[in-house]
Amino acid sequence: MRLYIHWPFCLSRCAYCDFNSRVAGRRVMEGYREALLKEIDAWSHLIGEEGRVLESLYLGGGTPSTMGGGEVAGMIEEVGRGFALQPGAEVTVEVNPATWSCEDYAAARDGGVNRFSVGVQSLDDGVLRLLTRAHDAGEAREAACHALRTGGTVSVDLLYALPAGGLESLLRTVDEVLTWRPHHLSVYALALEERAPLARRLRAGDISLPGEDEAADQFLEVLERLRAAGYRQYEISNFCLPGYHSRHNLAYWRREEYLGIGAGAHSLLGKCRFSNLVPVLGYMKRIRKGLLPVERCEILDAGEELEEEIMLGLRTSDGIPEGLLRNSVGYLEDLESMGLLLKRGGRVLLTPEGMLLSNAVIVGLLTQAKPVLDCQSPYWVR
Amino acid sequence: MERNRIRNFCIIAHIDHGKSTLADRFLEITDAVPRQKMSDQYLDRMELERERGITIKAQAVRMHYSPGEGEDYRLNLIDTPGHVDFSYEVSRSLEACEGAILLVDASQGVEAQTVGNAYLAVEAGLTVIPVVNKIDLPAADFEGTAMEVADLLGIDPGEVLGVSAKTGEGVEDLLRVVVGKTPPPGGDSDLPLRALVFDSTYDMYRGVVAFVRVMEGVVRKGMKALFMATGVSSDIDEVGFFSPDMISCQHLEAGDVGYIITGIKDVTRVKVGDTVTDQRHPACDLLPGYQDPKPMVFAGIYPVDADDFTNLDDALEKLKLNDAALTYARENSRALGFGFRCGFLGLLHMEIVQERLEREYGLDLVITSPNVVYELETREGDTLYVRNPSDMPDAGTIKEVREPYVQSTILVPPDYVGNILELVKERRGSYQDLSYLSGRRVEIRCRLPLAEIVVDFYDQLKSRSRGYASLDYEHMGFLPGNLVKLDILINGEPVDSFSTVVERSRAHDYGRKIAQRLRELIPRQLFDVPVQAAIGGRVVARETIKARRKDVLAKCYGGDITRKKKLLQKQKEGKKRMKMVGKVEIPQEAFISALKVSREESGK
Repeated sequence: MRLYIHWPFCLSRCAYCDFNSRVAGRRVMEGYREALLKEIDAWSHLIGEEGRVLESLYLGGGTPSTMGGGEVAGMIEEVGRGFALQPGAEVTVEVNPATWSCEDYAAARDGGVNRFSVGVQSLDDGVLRLLTRAHDAGEAREAACHALRTGGTVSVDLLYALPAGGLESLLRTVDEVLTWRPHHLSVYALALEERAPLARRLRAGDISLPGEDEAADQFLEVLERLRAAGYRQYEISNFCLPGYHSRHNLAYWRREEYLGIGAGAHSLLGKCRFSNLVPVLGYMKRIRKGLLPVERCEILDAGEELEEEIMLGLRTSDGIPEGLLRNSVGYLEDLESMGLLLKRGGRVLLTPEGMLLSNAVIVGLLTQAKPVLDCQSPYWVR
Repeated sequence: MERNRIRNFCIIAHIDHGKSTLADRFLEITDAVPRQKMSDQYLDRMELERERGITIKAQAVRMHYSPGEGEDYRLNLIDTPGHVDFSYEVSRSLEACEGAILLVDASQGVEAQTVGNAYLAVEAGLTVIPVVNKIDLPAADFEGTAMEVADLLGIDPGEVLGVSAKTGEGVEDLLRVVVGKTPPPGGDSDLPLRALVFDSTYDMYRGVVAFVRVMEGVVRKGMKALFMATGVSSDIDEVGFFSPDMISCQHLEAGDVGYIITGIKDVTRVKVGDTVTDQRHPACDLLPGYQDPKPMVFAGIYPVDADDFTNLDDALEKLKLNDAALTYARENSRALGFGFRCGFLGLLHMEIVQERLEREYGLDLVITSPNVVYELETREGDTLYVRNPSDMPDAGTIKEVREPYVQSTILVPPDYVGNILELVKERRGSYQDLSYLSGRRVEIRCRLPLAEIVVDFYDQLKSRSRGYASLDYEHMGFLPGNLVKLDILINGEPVDSFSTVVERSRAHDYGRKIAQRLRELIPRQLFDVPVQAAIGGRVVARETIKARRKDVLAKCYGGDITRKKKLLQKQKEGKKRMKMVGKVEIPQEAFISALKVSREESGK
């Protein structure tokens, strides 16, 4: 089993975010922590023997590093009461560079954290200010340095397709980050949700985003640098040195079971996808009443599972077995000739250009080369 | 009733000038309809007509009127369609009358259509009674309008009556004038039967109901009727008249107006303009003026959902029962799949059919840009008619291409004459003459290719005259033109639905504009898509829809894949509204607006 724990609180809100995160006082955070522990306890009794053994644990947010390193360690210890971390289990915590001191990293490591995901985003102070990040470039450098010094695995988050700085600023950031030799990098296009403050500025014409072609060029340029530095793209947005892929995140794409704890957290157990109540106070109230905070639940049928397998599998460099698709119209070959897709060893996978177009390609595959849903096929009898 | 006590008349009016309201007042005054049963505009039966304020099907109503003691008259009011598309039907209705009320709105003045129909009435030898309506309105200009009408008819303005159909003011006086001025019908009841079919309708239970004016002889129940133009014969099950509900009677004599019902179930066998005679004692000749309905405007109608094809087929079949002028034939478009090429009398007719299909039969339709029928003479000397531009054969095999022209009358205030003449020139029209109606309005007469009218001429006419110009036209046959077929190739493949026929000198310009427009209408695909315009295999314009580069949802927070699933679901739904043409997805709007918009632009 893989466990995700959601910590929705942040130091401040970033201008591009409308995520389930909030700036809260100490008391709410305390109450929320209590609720988390109760939910963990409840699931440890519900999940069964096998499910209590964890291959990975992920503390995401929000900003889980608004807890101190010691508190994170305490949380891991609490998890350990109901669940058992397998030897060598991956334990990740997301860190905002504005939060932790050297001691926090050490305390977290001592408590069991072996992977730090540092939200650098950019090393251009102008860009960071525009995004209203709570840190500057200097703090980001320091955070990465502290994280690396723990001896754990370090991942750095970067953004492209930004409203400022352009390709030049982006490549300066990438080049510098590469000198740190982090084990892992995540590179995301800035996505503005409708209610984010930056989205309002965009609508007002106050800022502008790079167009589709420019954004694609930026990504391919970054990809080139990362490759040259020995990193491998193992998923649309994720790169690593050999052996350092995120086992937890890979489980999402491989449709392995995971359990999400906390407000708005998502789970996949068997054929069931479910998620918790999103509002933090509502979530806490439900837990206090002794109820499970599950809000939505979807039982997948064989067709839906297959579609998920295709759409998630194609995000990774492993791709999917070719046999999942009924390629009657030669659609795969068309995509191949466009340089968007490869067939290799009975599997179908996307090229970097194909990954950039993964939505359109996947929709095309689901409609043109329709998924094979055959009761006899080894796929869904497994 | 003695024939000299019968008056057959109609009302000629532009849309919204108050024809139906006036008819309602007549029905009230003559007690044909009790007041409590009086719904507004009783004669307009179809819901659609009521909404659009226009009358599609002519009907005839019998009324009894006594202007004074001992004077009883039978009035037959024959309703005429009010739009240029139906001018043949109008002309047949006029044949059934001896008198016509020319009704003009006091606030709007004379419109082109009024002029056209007034000419038709005069040519048909009818007594025209000029009337200005809506004199109760604050904006009414009775004097000015009366002057216009007088100019039009070459009479003294003092002869023009004023009424308000809404309040009833002057309506009774008008009825007296109708009785006094309209001549009684002629015709000999002892001659063999000749009755003019001036309209027909279809009743689900009883079959075709033919509206007739008996010109000579007597039509009786039980008689064996012969429709002379079509050669169809059938027993007459019922004879009667509308008052305004159907009332059956034993016979109708020369001079009378009414209906006959035979066992015929197919409305196309009872044609407007045909002559009914007695098969046992037939007349020698048809009444003059019969024409087969000739659709001039064609468009492809396709179901949005291919599964609806059978439903569309059924709906057209049912619609056709009531609309003899509608033609349709199966068509298979590479781009749009299975559908029908439908022929219409004109644009309004097309719109009415489209609306009825959508409203009455609940169908979602893709309708291609309309085109006209082309007459081709091949090198072998054969004459062909092409109803779909994509069927146009190779230029090498054609000797001459001819296109339908119309004789048009445009009425417009003097200030806008320049604009309108410019529009006529842009649309390949040839100006003929220009005359003033009472100084307020200019009548422009010109010839125009029908093809130039079917797309958006009317909109342009309105926008370049601030809504004041009005248009009327009549078909004048085919004239040769220097016309070429323009093909559009998308990703190297010709797309039949975008083919069009244009004048050679404009083909380049037009092709470039269609290509540009399509580049905007077709979303970027996964690969570069060339859009080309070609004449006879030679490419004259090229645009490229650049391939998409980025369409990705980068992040899935904490295993939340619901956003991604929703997005993909949305994209899958969006794909359903696209038509796959080869490997290119084309949105349905493109089929409707590509040709139209580019013509608008080229008009600027």
